[in-house]
Order: sequence, then structure tokens, then C-alpha cells
Amino acid sequence: MMKVIFGLALVLSLLVILPSIEYVLAAGDEPGEYLDRRVEIWGLFYRLMIVAFTVGTVVSGMIVWLVLRFRESNPKAKPTEYEADGKW
Amino acid sequence: MVSGNMSGHHSTWPEWVYVGVVIALLCYVGAEAWNIERIVEHVPADAEIIKVVGQQWLWTFEHEDGTKEIGELHLEKGKAYKFEVTSKDVVHSFNIHDFTVLMDAVPGRVNTVWFSPTETGEFPIQCREYCGLIHYNMRGTLYVENGV
Repeated sequence: MMKVIFGLALVLSLLVILPSIEYVLAAGDEPGEYLDRRVEIWGLFYRLMIVAFTVGTVVSGMIVWLVLRFRESNPKAKPTEYEADGKW
Repeated sequence: MVSGNMSGHHSTWPEWVYVGVVIALLCYVGAEAWNIERIVEHVPADAEIIKVVGQQWLWTFEHEDGTKEIGELHLEKGKAYKFEVTSKDVVHSFNIHDFTVLMDAVPGRVNTVWFSPTETGEFPIQCREYCGLIHYNMRGTLYVENGV
């Protein structure tokens, strides 16, 4: 029950707090400077793509390593204590 | 993570490093995107306001001095323009692809987006929200000219 209440409170607070932060910090009435949208937006896109591809490489590399290292046919594979003793 | 009483003690630091790196990357992505959005949304004080009205299936533009244009828009290079975008019928989306300008045109609502053309020439204007039978041909042309 406490978990439900805590979860509900968390969701509600996020629903209220995040829009409030957005409202306070988002673009106000103060004037901005001249800029080239293309440079800013595409620059952001390329930076985030670097992050995305780095994460993708690390995660997929780790999955490949896990699958190869812990396959049954790997010479280095050791049975778990459950498999070795036949007890579950 | 396997608990200690199942397979004996083992180090969990790689997991914590992994979690930490993921959280750091998410924070970086969120902060960077928010910052660029904030920078891009701030309109220069001297921006000329242009009212943009979308309707099936054409764009109408009204300059500050009252000049109206249909299907084409003439602007000066190097000046800032703030578009006040709305719609007369259904939802459209005002898009000048070459300058990464994109804003929904919603009936009963005025959305704003600004830009400053950095080069002269002719650039296509299009609708980027499916809005009916002739959506594909809801196009216009942006003419960017050197200022006088």
C-alpha cells in the first residue's frame, strides 16, 4: 500500500514539478540574439547522435561479448554450482 | 545483479559504473536539448512579425505594414522574422526546410517561431502535417533578397 501511495505521489509530483520548472525556465520575454537555427539545431542533432551511437556500440558490444563468453561451448565455460551438483 | 547468498560475494562496481554513465549521458542529452531549445526560442527584439495563416490548401502571409502575400513570401537577408502561425480549418504545419523552420498551424491558437535568413535565393515552403486531399500541393515559395 505504501508503495502505491509513494508511486502515486511520485507521478503526481512529476506531473506538477516538471511543468513548473519548464514554465519558470523556458524562454521568457527577454530578447534573444541573432543566430542561425540550422547551425544550432543540426549541431545538437550531431552531438546527440554521437551519444546515441556510442551507447549503441557499448551496449551491443557488451551483449555480443556476453553471448560469446558465456555460451556452453566456450572452452572457458564452467558449470554453475547448480548444474555441477544437479541440485536446484 | 546476483545477491551474495546465491553465488558468494562478487563485485558490483561495473554495474554501478554502468548505471552512473547512463544517468550522466541522459542528463547531458536532456540539458543540451533544453539549452538549445531555449536559445532558439528567444526572439530578437527587432524581429518583424509576420502573420501566417494556413488553410486547405494554401499559405497566406501578412507583413507588419499590412502587405499580404498568398503562396509566396518575400523577405530580406539578415533580418529577423517572427512568424505567428495559425490555421483557418484543420491542423497544418508551416515548414521552411532549408532554414529548419517548422511550426504547427492549429485553429484557434497562435504558435510562434522565428528565424533570420542567412542567404539569398528561392526556398520551398510546404505543409508538413497531412491536412487532406491536396496536402501534397500545399506549397509556397520563400524569396530571400538583399536588403535595400
